[in-house]
Amino acid sequence: MSKARGRTLADRRFRFTSEDRWGYFFIFVAMAVFVMFTLYPVVSAVRTSFLKYKPFGSEFIGLKNYTDTFKSPLFYKAVWNTVLYTVVVVPLSLLIAFSIAIMILPFRKKTQSVFKSIYYLPGIASGVALSVVWLWLYDSSPDGLFNQVLMFFGIPAQNWLSSSKTSMLSLMLMAILSGQGSNIIIYIAALLGIDNSYFEAAELDGATFFQKVRYIVFPLVKPTTLFLLVTGIIGSFQVFQNAFMMTGGGPDNSTTMIGLLIYKNAFEYSKFGLACAQAILLAIVIALISLVQFRLMGADVEY
Amino acid sequence: MKKILALILALVMLFALAACGQQPAAQEPTEAPAEQPAEQPAEQPAEEEPTPDTITVMVPPVSGTYQDDIETWIADFTKLYPHLTVEVIKTSWDDHNGKLSTMANAGEAPDIAEVSYAAIGTYVELGVAVDIAQYMDPERLADYDQNALDYMSIENTVYGLPLYITIQALGANKEMLEAAGADVAKIQSEGWTYEEFLEVIKNGTTDDCFGFVFANAGVTASDFLNIFGVGAGLNNAFTDDLKYAYTSDNMLKLLEAVEDMTKSGYMPNYGVEAGQRMVMCQQGKAMIFGKAMPLFENNINKNNAALEANDGTAVENSIPVQYAFLPVPTMDGAEASCFGSVDGLIALRNNKTTDEHLKNVCLFMDYICSGERIAAVDQTLLLEPVCQTGRDAYISPEGLDEGNVASAARCIGLVVAPPAGVTAEQSAAAKTIMDEVIVPKFQALLAGEATAQEVYDALSTAAVEAFGADGCVSGTL
Repeated sequence: MSKARGRTLADRRFRFTSEDRWGYFFIFVAMAVFVMFTLYPVVSAVRTSFLKYKPFGSEFIGLKNYTDTFKSPLFYKAVWNTVLYTVVVVPLSLLIAFSIAIMILPFRKKTQSVFKSIYYLPGIASGVALSVVWLWLYDSSPDGLFNQVLMFFGIPAQNWLSSSKTSMLSLMLMAILSGQGSNIIIYIAALLGIDNSYFEAAELDGATFFQKVRYIVFPLVKPTTLFLLVTGIIGSFQVFQNAFMMTGGGPDNSTTMIGLLIYKNAFEYSKFGLACAQAILLAIVIALISLVQFRLMGADVEY
Repeated sequence: MKKILALILALVMLFALAACGQQPAAQEPTEAPAEQPAEQPAEQPAEEEPTPDTITVMVPPVSGTYQDDIETWIADFTKLYPHLTVEVIKTSWDDHNGKLSTMANAGEAPDIAEVSYAAIGTYVELGVAVDIAQYMDPERLADYDQNALDYMSIENTVYGLPLYITIQALGANKEMLEAAGADVAKIQSEGWTYEEFLEVIKNGTTDDCFGFVFANAGVTASDFLNIFGVGAGLNNAFTDDLKYAYTSDNMLKLLEAVEDMTKSGYMPNYGVEAGQRMVMCQQGKAMIFGKAMPLFENNINKNNAALEANDGTAVENSIPVQYAFLPVPTMDGAEASCFGSVDGLIALRNNKTTDEHLKNVCLFMDYICSGERIAAVDQTLLLEPVCQTGRDAYISPEGLDEGNVASAARCIGLVVAPPAGVTAEQSAAAKTIMDEVIVPKFQALLAGEATAQEVYDALSTAAVEAFGADGCVSGTL
């Protein structure tokens, strides 16, 4: 009796109905795109990381690319630079975006849209064009714009991008000041989703502005903050363009990030195997950090 | 409705996948390669009825008109060889190397590409560079100067044909130099010592003007080492007995000189972008600048003309300048020399390459690297051709400063070709040390954040690790 019931359940579970076929058919396009443009490159990268890659006849070298990576002082320097950049840029970016979103919120819808457009504007400009503008701002000569401002206040001109004391700071400043558009829009959307009744009740209780932010806004936008934090850290670990365009990783490798190191190994030294090994390690690190973030912050988040 | 939509999307996807996966038709071996006759090879068509073939060539704007000129040369070439088709991939200097590297690594390199000699090792190591001597008429290969061919060779195998030898040294405002007490004619004809150079830049430094400026921001720092290094006896990364030369005392002496110049205030201690150096000279903010080439006389003369015409095209705040092309100063114990670099075209292997195809590739490569084609390019760049047929067709440009012409001719004669026998591995390791250790540390030296000794120690450690203590020079060269 129980055997028969078990078989019936199994039959039902694995029966391939017409509905199932259509289900698979609907996801076929998405799956094909995923397999071709995401899964295959990842599998290929893992495979290449065990090779001394050559276009006509690669050679299997086992874990050498990984051991070479762990023996390279430049890799650790790049890791340190990337972590430092992330630790400073991501939280500051979130704080600035949140503050600006809070300030925009009280305005009428049209005014909000104007501000949102202004802040999002750098997002639609070419990153290369932005870098050229920032290079001009960071001109290290006394005629440079930032240096002119400093000298107006009696502060000596700085060697912005050519000194290891200021190069990383310059890249951080650039990232913080020019990349908040999408964060602000996402935060405003989250803030608009908070029911007004919470604020009305708080006002009846005599809550101050900061108490409302602390006890109402922060908890209710936590899922948004978690999302922006996770994607921000992932993006920050993969940062490449700013360092590539502005400093090339210098001076003294003070702005060499992992993304730039991987790029150089692949496209300047043609060491694709080594670059793939480093990319895999980067992916593992990002996955672990994201996991920890979800565990620590996501526990009391309601979606 | 959803089902129909899904069906359409799936079909579109299938077509897209099929298109992505489509392979180029395999190249059929040609019956008879178009071989060049001995006398005037580049001008004579093949006699037999050969199989059609397509050659791809990837070039940046080698000269101002190069990318237009190559279309004309292709039209002329295909009249001589109607069975051949040539496709040009035009790139900018900024994206040329990256694009070439990506294509080569994907097994889809163009048949011919422009490269600097220093990059050849990378393509040899990758297994895509072609030994062109196997596919060229030896007499045609003999048309090219051996000195220039040496640059295009690794371990005595020739991988490409040279377009020109560029010389890179210093440029200056001649009037300011003379006011600083320099005998310009003597410097141009006989060279000068580092002490004399130091005295001149000291005299030329004022509150508004640096005696000397060299582009040093980012990767341009390596230019400083290469160009000034020859004055310290560092002509190449390897000695004739194939030992790594940058660990010698000559390098330490060079680094100490740079440290002194930076600290003295005769040159800026901040990052100078490549585009700024000549502008600083044109604005009277720098007396001597580097790197400089003979070609810059044209640019400066054009700016002078624009200033005179007052048509608004001159460099902002610029002044009339009489350009002087100068050799780099020679340090104590070193012989006079000049940094030279050869740019050329190399043949590359891709997934459709056959032996017959390579013969056609070399045929076209030889055509555009020789004769009146290369003479026209070198005329524009104010450089002497490096092949006999080019020299025969070359007409010296008129109206140039005689002192500059003589100085350039002397400098070309001082260029020392890289030693024969350097392996692709050695070449690649030297490039890695330059990019990952020397340039970053040198940037720190220029910013006053590292001493000459610290830079030298760091590069010595990396060099010994790469080549072993026996593979590195110790003491003076």
